[in-house]
Amino acid sequence: MTAPTTSPTRTLPRLPRSALVGLGIGALFLLALFGRYEPKVAVSILLSGLTLGFLYFMVSAGLSLIFGLMDVLNFAHGTLFMLGAYVGLAVFNAPFLAGWSTDVRFLTALVMGGLVAGALGALTELSLIRPLYSRPIYQVLLTLGLTFVGGELIKAIWGTAGFFMPTPSFFNTQGANCPSPDLLAFFTDHCSSILILGRAFPSYRLFVIGLGLVMFLAVALLLRKTRLGIIIRAGVQDGEMVQALGINVRRVFTLVFALGAALAGIGGVAAAPIIGVNLGIGQEFLLQSFISIVIGGMGSFGGATVGALLVGLARAFGDQLVLSGVQIPFVQEVIRLSPSIARASTVIIMGIVLLIRPAGLFGKKD
Amino acid sequence: MRFLKSNAGGLALVAALIAFPFVLSLLTGEALNTGTPKFWQGMLAQVFILGVYALSYDLLMGVTGVLSFGHAMFFGAGAYTAGILLKYAHWGLLPVIAAVIVVTLVQSLLVGALSLRVKGVYYAMVTLAFAQMFFILAEASDFREYTGAEDGLQGIPVPAWLSPTHERLTFYFVSLAFCVCVYLIVRRIVSSPTGRVLVAIRDNEQRAQTVGFNTFAFKLIAMALSGVLAGLAGMMSALWNLSANAGMLSTGTTINALLMVIIGGAGTLSGSLLGAGFLQLVGYWLNDAFGPRWPLLFGLVYIVIVLFLPYGIIGTWRARRRQG
Amino acid sequence: MADLLIVDGIHTYIGQSHILEGVSLSVPRGSITALLGRNGAGKTTTLRSIIGVLQPRSGTITFDGKAVQGKRAYNIAAMGIGYVPEHRAIFRDLTVEENLRIAERKRGDLARRSDLIFELFPDLKTFLGRGGGNLSGGQQQMLAIARALVAENRLLLIDEPSEGLAPIIVENIARALKRLAGETTILLVEQNFRMASQVADRYVLIDDGRTQQSGAMADLVADDAAVRRYLGVS
Repeated sequence: MTAPTTSPTRTLPRLPRSALVGLGIGALFLLALFGRYEPKVAVSILLSGLTLGFLYFMVSAGLSLIFGLMDVLNFAHGTLFMLGAYVGLAVFNAPFLAGWSTDVRFLTALVMGGLVAGALGALTELSLIRPLYSRPIYQVLLTLGLTFVGGELIKAIWGTAGFFMPTPSFFNTQGANCPSPDLLAFFTDHCSSILILGRAFPSYRLFVIGLGLVMFLAVALLLRKTRLGIIIRAGVQDGEMVQALGINVRRVFTLVFALGAALAGIGGVAAAPIIGVNLGIGQEFLLQSFISIVIGGMGSFGGATVGALLVGLARAFGDQLVLSGVQIPFVQEVIRLSPSIARASTVIIMGIVLLIRPAGLFGKKD
Repeated sequence: MRFLKSNAGGLALVAALIAFPFVLSLLTGEALNTGTPKFWQGMLAQVFILGVYALSYDLLMGVTGVLSFGHAMFFGAGAYTAGILLKYAHWGLLPVIAAVIVVTLVQSLLVGALSLRVKGVYYAMVTLAFAQMFFILAEASDFREYTGAEDGLQGIPVPAWLSPTHERLTFYFVSLAFCVCVYLIVRRIVSSPTGRVLVAIRDNEQRAQTVGFNTFAFKLIAMALSGVLAGLAGMMSALWNLSANAGMLSTGTTINALLMVIIGGAGTLSGSLLGAGFLQLVGYWLNDAFGPRWPLLFGLVYIVIVLFLPYGIIGTWRARRRQG
Repeated sequence: MADLLIVDGIHTYIGQSHILEGVSLSVPRGSITALLGRNGAGKTTTLRSIIGVLQPRSGTITFDGKAVQGKRAYNIAAMGIGYVPEHRAIFRDLTVEENLRIAERKRGDLARRSDLIFELFPDLKTFLGRGGGNLSGGQQQMLAIARALVAENRLLLIDEPSEGLAPIIVENIARALKRLAGETTILLVEQNFRMASQVADRYVLIDDGRTQQSGAMADLVADDAAVRRYLGVS
């Protein structure tokens, strides 16, 4: 059945208004940040938040694209992220690359992590998701099962111990003139951190922000400027009509599934030098990107992006807060908490959004 | 009399389960509280506990058609509540049971009120996020003195008369009675007017709404009932294990509920119990045969069932009987 | 007989409900055939069965001498059938131009056909950059028809183009459809009998999921009893 047409004026103001809400929340957040901390600390928290936010984006973007187009909520998306990290690490340490510099090995890892995750995503869609389009509930049951199987498989191959992924040397040089005084100097000395307003910030994290931005722009361009993008955006609204125009939507489904999975796989490799490679990261990133999606609104690429960045910022702010201690009114002592509390508290944000606007900032009603 | 007749199969099964320890003892020649009889009492006691957990999930997913991916949070909450109160507050068993009911009731109402604002897979996603929050909190170092953080809550003092190690037979009968009671309660709920509304919601929520039912309220009721029953199952599980750990709150525990319900057949109730037996016994056998890799096989079994046996064993069997 | 489309005794179910219980019709090449019937008679379901978004359980559909039933919608459409669904179903988040471009089957389709499209609907030319969701109902309807014209379709299935539109716009659309009669063949579902009788040269009447009668439109216009019985208008 086709959806009833909405009145023509309703759809235009929706996007900018939501964007304003997003901006408003961001501005409030900045106000709180700069009001509480001196600028150099605030900027450092902001950059940490953007780093995390763009990593969350790499998971939530695919999740949201896939859900928008084919109504499949892929619970295995965190597992693809984790698989990307493991594959990336394996490639990084692979004997056939032993002679190369860590930069080349890392770049190869990034590409391979994306390719393997993407291929696996395509394979999953073709073999397991496709037979179940007529039984949508079973699709999510299946993807939930896949998280379980994927986790067990990774456990079987790599064991339960976590791994450390070194930062490539391009971002990891120690020396007398480190940290780099500014971004320009970094490109000659490759220090592991860069001074920003006089405070050292890890250069690799700036790379992650840049990579996230590039991925965002690439996907945005794909959606806006290519025929595939037009088909995806049309399919999000009405896949049946796209079919009736003579377009094989199923093939586009597979492609988008692969693309979303590849984004997550690349994200896993990019995150590995920061968060390590272990069996917990899949669930962790799945959770945070779910929260991003609830905030941003399901099935909207812009929403997933804004949501991920907001969750990243909230996480960075929360981490700082719990580490420096929370002063509760009427209580003398400063309460010190572990970062786990900050992780868990993002779920509270999700709860608040559900209470105020269940459809999320950019979501359509229902 | 009619009750006896229409439930002959079930009654026979209960009678057989009551006789089971004695028969086994007779057959093996070992004392009731030793060796093989003791081992199998334990195995079945775990089946009963899992059975209650599966029943609670079936009430929500199978009967009401609400797909939650966060059911572990109630199971774990029951386990931790019971464990903490027994170990640190030295409460008696009855107040602990009351506390478990209150805690999981409040928890399920709060989580339900928020997450039922969205529907379908979206709801599944939100409940999973809430469950993860409890999982993270259970592992957080902040509450180590109560929860034991990543080591779990060890050494829960169980009343001597119910000790699963020393009074295995008592524990066996208590968990059997627990399971039978919950089964009867859930069946009663399903055939009650409330239960019929729940089924109506599953079949067509829009229509139930048009007829005038506040479907949100009924789904919340289903969630509360299911949450409390899962919490009680979690409490029994903590008593059996003498410990509670974060794993009880993990997605794996939710998947177990799904697995049991889907294997047996969603919405059939008795299928849940069958699924619990399957999970425990086949799990034990797989563990024996394949060692630590057995969960992988279980996951594959789950996927095969989702793909090829969507109505489960009991569901498929009933459909066949209706046709044939 | 030079029928472009032949539907023979199709039965279509939606879920458990049996909607079409034997619909047969034929659409001669170059004609505009109106598919008429009461609300719920099965007109939309018939169109959806032809284009393949619904699969009939039995019966045959032949387009240009080739069997169609059992094929997927995109294959059927690619054989040269354009579909203008009820409620228009234009893509609201796409611009007018993108709405047209997505219907291209070969590169350059839109450029080749733009003269025809903009001759029929000159308004669209001025709205190319506007979001589909920001068009009025009439403009959306024109866009939906234009979208079906981008590829060189030999048959158009048009579902209730006049629904919810002002009389003057209905006139415009009727004129456009008549103008298309020379270019292509049309199977038109229409509630508005006055418009249908103006535009179409043939008709098929269905009721309760079955074909009741068919023939030349002029005969039906003269047949008051049938019109009143099956369409409830006079």
